[in-house]
Amino acid sequence: MPPRIRSSQVLHRAESSLLQCINPTAPAAGRPSSTPSCSPSILLSSSTSPRQPSSQCCAFQRPQQTSSFSSTASRDLNKAQRNFWGWMRSYGRKHRDPTGRTNYLGGGSNPFPNNKEFKSQPVLSEAARSVIYDAVMKEGLPLKAVSAKYNVDMRRVAAVVRMKEIEKKWVKEGKPLARPYAKAVQTMLPYSNLTGEESEPFEPINDIHVHSYTMQQLFLPTSESRHFTRQDAAKAFGEHILAPDEKMRIPELIAFEKDVVAGVANEDAEANFFKATAASERAIADKHLALAQRDENNKTRVDSGRFEFRFERISVDSAGHDGRARRGVGWRYGVPFNDRRRAVVKIPTKVE
Amino acid sequence: MVVKIRLARFGRTNSPFYNIVVSHARTARNSRPLEVIGTYDPIPKKDSYDTSGKLHKDIKLDITRARYWIGVGAQPTDTAWRLLSMVGIIEPKFRPSTTTTTEKKA
Repeated sequence: MPPRIRSSQVLHRAESSLLQCINPTAPAAGRPSSTPSCSPSILLSSSTSPRQPSSQCCAFQRPQQTSSFSSTASRDLNKAQRNFWGWMRSYGRKHRDPTGRTNYLGGGSNPFPNNKEFKSQPVLSEAARSVIYDAVMKEGLPLKAVSAKYNVDMRRVAAVVRMKEIEKKWVKEGKPLARPYAKAVQTMLPYSNLTGEESEPFEPINDIHVHSYTMQQLFLPTSESRHFTRQDAAKAFGEHILAPDEKMRIPELIAFEKDVVAGVANEDAEANFFKATAASERAIADKHLALAQRDENNKTRVDSGRFEFRFERISVDSAGHDGRARRGVGWRYGVPFNDRRRAVVKIPTKVE
Repeated sequence: MVVKIRLARFGRTNSPFYNIVVSHARTARNSRPLEVIGTYDPIPKKDSYDTSGKLHKDIKLDITRARYWIGVGAQPTDTAWRLLSMVGIIEPKFRPSTTTTTEKKA
């Protein structure tokens, strides 16, 4: 918000200089408005009182006054405004102009001074995104390894790679990128370069889901001699409850830490970790490939020229003995369809 | 009574979807059939990451049951005939078989 001009004298000068801009036939047209002493129109207007009746303003001798904007004097500042301008002159001075970095009211990383606990989380800088992309696409490291190396969530790593791919594709196609927007956002948010100089990691990467079954207190009688492990504890909460080790996003980190504790050289431990993460990634890829292959084997493609008809082989037995099983093929008979029911979310939940 | 292999239209306005059914000829279109042997989605679709713009249609069919019903004298309608002939269950009715290339990918 631009500062308001307070004295009525200055206000009139501003008015008349505005008038000069609008009305080129005004006597002082073309003169710099910053020199009021030599401008006749400014002298005229400053001599007239703001509360003058409009009939005087409309005199023929002073045509520039006829199209003047409001001649009412500005109201005195209220308390809040006085406080604001007082603050603006002292502490608020540094918030007046953009600095190119974050310049939060609360100082540090808090843009909301009244919300003490709020912390503006850093985003990945352009350089950090390049580092991640190079690690995955040029060095060929597994996503899990990159995630562990830079303390960036695996899903974010994957997203960065995808976005970078799109960016490169657009550059190749000559599509314009929203660079000014990205730059503007980057000046307003804290960002991390992933150089390791930051005091804390970018984000937690090994958060595990806490199952509600495990949030209750449980007394389990067991013999003193029994070696009670995390797996046993998980079983005690429920047959389907997993131990934390199995719920971790990057369980290979456990083996890595064990290696380190056992005294394996750091390079060797890292190499083992990379090997294990690469193997797990390959296993997932193979699984997806096998599923796709299975689907493909179950299909016959017939090209009619205009369309390709894809025949998927099914079994009528999936409809069950009464033909009404939910897994049966086709629209079901004798059951209501809820696809037009109110208050049911019908927007697609995934993009294929 | 004649047993037919025909399509039963489901879906909504402007988004048809068909069950490929075996039913008696004189029963209503959407009445409960003898058997549902498949589905036919007539709306052409694109592959997600395919930029060629080639369209495809998805059909589900129990080929064994279709062969059985043809074997016991069920009469496909023209549309059903066209679909069944594509997978080689019956001879094409209107076009010579050479124009439709039937290929099975492994």
